[in-house]
Amino acid sequence: MKVVTALHRPAALLAGMLACAGLLAFAEWSGSGGSSQPSVRIVHITERDFHIRSPRRIAPGRVRLVVTNDGPDLHELIVVRDPAGTRLPLRTDGLTVNEDALAPEEVGSLEPGVPGSVRGLTLRLRPGRYEIFCNMAGHYMSGMHAVLLVGKP
Amino acid sequence: MIRAPAFTPYASRGRKPVVAILLTFALCSMASIGLSIWQTARTQHRAEVLRVAERQQTLASEYVQEVMLVRSGQQSDPDVTATILRLSTDALLDGGAVPAVPGNDDEADLAPATDPVVRAQLIQERRLVDDMTSTGAAYLDGRPVSSVPLTAGEHLAVTAPLTRLRVLSMLTADAALNTARTIVAESDSDVTNLIVMQAVLGGVGLLVSLGLALALVAATRRQTAHFRSIVDSSTDLVIVLGAGGCRHVSRSVTAMLGVSEDAVLGDGLLRFLHPDGRALVRSAQTSGRTEEIVFQLVNQHGEWRTLEAHVTDLRQDRAIRGVVLNARDVTERVGLQDELVRQAHYDGLTGLANRGLFRDRLEQALTRSTRAGGSVGVLILDLDGFKQVNDSLGHEAGDQLLRVVADRLTETVRATDTVARFGGDEFAVLIDQTDEALAVSVARRALARLAEPAVVGGRELEVAASIGIALQTGESGGDELVRNADVAMYAAKDAGRGRHEVFRSDMARDPDELLGLDNELRYALARNELSVHYQPTISLSGGEIVGVEALVRWTSPTRGPVGPDVFIPVAETSGLIAALGEYVLREACGETARWLRNGIVGRDFVTWVNVSTKQLTMGGMPGAVDRALQTAGLPARNLGLEVTERAIMLGDAADRALVELQQLHDSGVRIAIDDFGTGFSSLARLRDFPVDMLKVDRSFVQGVERDAKDVAITTHAITLAHALGLIAVAEGIETEGQLAHMRAVGCDVGQGYLFSRPVPAKEITTFLAAAHDAAQAA
Repeated sequence: MKVVTALHRPAALLAGMLACAGLLAFAEWSGSGGSSQPSVRIVHITERDFHIRSPRRIAPGRVRLVVTNDGPDLHELIVVRDPAGTRLPLRTDGLTVNEDALAPEEVGSLEPGVPGSVRGLTLRLRPGRYEIFCNMAGHYMSGMHAVLLVGKP
Repeated sequence: MIRAPAFTPYASRGRKPVVAILLTFALCSMASIGLSIWQTARTQHRAEVLRVAERQQTLASEYVQEVMLVRSGQQSDPDVTATILRLSTDALLDGGAVPAVPGNDDEADLAPATDPVVRAQLIQERRLVDDMTSTGAAYLDGRPVSSVPLTAGEHLAVTAPLTRLRVLSMLTADAALNTARTIVAESDSDVTNLIVMQAVLGGVGLLVSLGLALALVAATRRQTAHFRSIVDSSTDLVIVLGAGGCRHVSRSVTAMLGVSEDAVLGDGLLRFLHPDGRALVRSAQTSGRTEEIVFQLVNQHGEWRTLEAHVTDLRQDRAIRGVVLNARDVTERVGLQDELVRQAHYDGLTGLANRGLFRDRLEQALTRSTRAGGSVGVLILDLDGFKQVNDSLGHEAGDQLLRVVADRLTETVRATDTVARFGGDEFAVLIDQTDEALAVSVARRALARLAEPAVVGGRELEVAASIGIALQTGESGGDELVRNADVAMYAAKDAGRGRHEVFRSDMARDPDELLGLDNELRYALARNELSVHYQPTISLSGGEIVGVEALVRWTSPTRGPVGPDVFIPVAETSGLIAALGEYVLREACGETARWLRNGIVGRDFVTWVNVSTKQLTMGGMPGAVDRALQTAGLPARNLGLEVTERAIMLGDAADRALVELQQLHDSGVRIAIDDFGTGFSSLARLRDFPVDMLKVDRSFVQGVERDAKDVAITTHAITLAHALGLIAVAEGIETEGQLAHMRAVGCDVGQGYLFSRPVPAKEITTFLAAAHDAAQAA
């Protein structure tokens, strides 16, 4: 009996794995399809405790942000355009950014990624001033934010 | 060095897959259970780690609150919390004891973290704990917090001590939370791995088991096929009998019978079984007793095959459920045995019983008659003149004649009697439950039947035989009975051909005496144990001695005197007769020549020498006679040869004898017919034969005083002799009356005890000299 159930489980597992592999392959295909278009530019961004490294200025248009988490903590990435003032609005605790207040300006975000992960975020960026940051508890205040200028160099 | 693979008996080869299946199941199950136990322990430990990791989050918040309490002048001890935080982080990272939060939980003991991601996060957490507690300590001590060196990579823009402390607390709590998340994710992946491992183990176990099961099935099939082909290719015949009749037969059985398997299965086998074997096979089927049985089956050609089967009871064997007959076809062997028995007991030429079987049957008959009464009779039959048939017509004709005789004898007797051939031309008949009259009537019938003309080798032959009859008396054994019948047969032969004689005790001749007699006779010739005696023949008209009959005598140092009636037949059969005859001729001629030289006998004196039938048929007589005459220097006219009637009457050989006798007669040797009247003389033969003298047999001479028939015979014999111009001689004159009668009927010469018995040479010389002197004196 045990053997029979064990037989079904890996079958299901295998099916699942095949499905995942298929999806990944599709995603990879669509991704490479995007990069083959000259209008999409790759922008490498590296996050680590507690710093974001990114180019200071990029050209407008379609960009693919390739975000690498060097850890050791989990990090997210939120992109906002042209925020009012130099400092982002904080919640009442005065320690984390008030994302609700920034909702109209937010152009894209990546959920927390585990250390070592590399993720992509494709955006169409108009010229302007953008700020990128990680809003996990205390990360913004510890220095995980950077300014990205989009426009003609 | 190449080692030969270890020998594995075919029957044990199927065990390996079974053992392998069991081992695979056991290994997979053990691995699965071990994995589960290990994973359970790991999960328990991980729950503890998770509890401690999550506690760090709370402790980090509490630390800030406790610092704030101290700053506001209230009683609190943030250092304890700082120590617990630091020790907990150390324990999470490198393993060890985790202190309890007073009044909240218990101490725990953790193993070091192994996952590199978790370890990196814990190292970062420890730095953050250090940064937070250092900042807290500086704040409480009133030192500027911005001077506290930060080790976790923070780029804090805030300078307010409390805010800075709160951010560090948030970072610490966040790090603790993320560490806990990673551990949970790792745990999830462990569970997934476990499931995969279990699935793989199960799958491997299943596949291996399936493979091995297939291998086992294949091995079993191979083994079954192997044994089936062994059984089928075996010449042994295997029959399995069960409740419903025949359950299985090997291919060899159907091949032998030439029918399909269906025809034999069930009750079908019965149709092929010989009725004699049915009960035997049925008994084997019901009893299953281990035994050897022999039965017969008929094949499609109607040929009976004899099977010898070993019975094995396998009714308790679930694979067989029947009684197994393991049989061999022994038809050829049985046939050969029968043939050997036949050859051992029967005569190959005639198909009659041989001497061994005859003796066997005789012993049985004797035992029966001793128990139940009645008498057993034995007839010994010897053909007369068979040798002449063989010599003149060839052995094939002889064999044909023997077969004719065998058939005729078989027709003559009852089915219960046994006819046997002892070899040569000697036959025997065993008559059960008989008496003398019945036995004699059988002998008569046999002789009459044999006397009917038989066509052999293209010629019509008249077969004659001599029969000796012996009847069981008292305790006489089989050997004695046969011996007696043999003696009686010789007596019958001696009495003339085509006769039968019943054994009388006075015929008995010790067979031991005859045995080896030829050897002794040979030595006797060499050692001069023989001598020649002489009996005078007297002229009945003048009373003078006209001749002598030379008679051979033998005195054996071991046996004493042996009669010529005993040793002459032995000499004839052993071939010594030629030497013996020459000896007598030599002696007689020598003696007679001396008498002549000494002048004690007249010029016409004749010494008569007996010539046996055998001597005549062997040929070479003229040469032998001539040599004897030459050696002695004796004129031929002084020698006479006495031949029996039989010698001149026997077919082709007698023709040769006739030629030789004619030759001898021409040379001057006298010829006499001995024992005239006892045989079946053909007068025509007598006319053609060169004969000078007829000797009337003593049996007639001795009967003249009381039997008118003997008178008539002697009278006519003498008349016949005279009519043919021959001299008539009366043998065995013992009384004056006989002498007177013989004189009266005109017999020329007499011989007998009345005148003289046969005496040695010395005595006869004296006798002759005396007679001569008396004649001279007269």
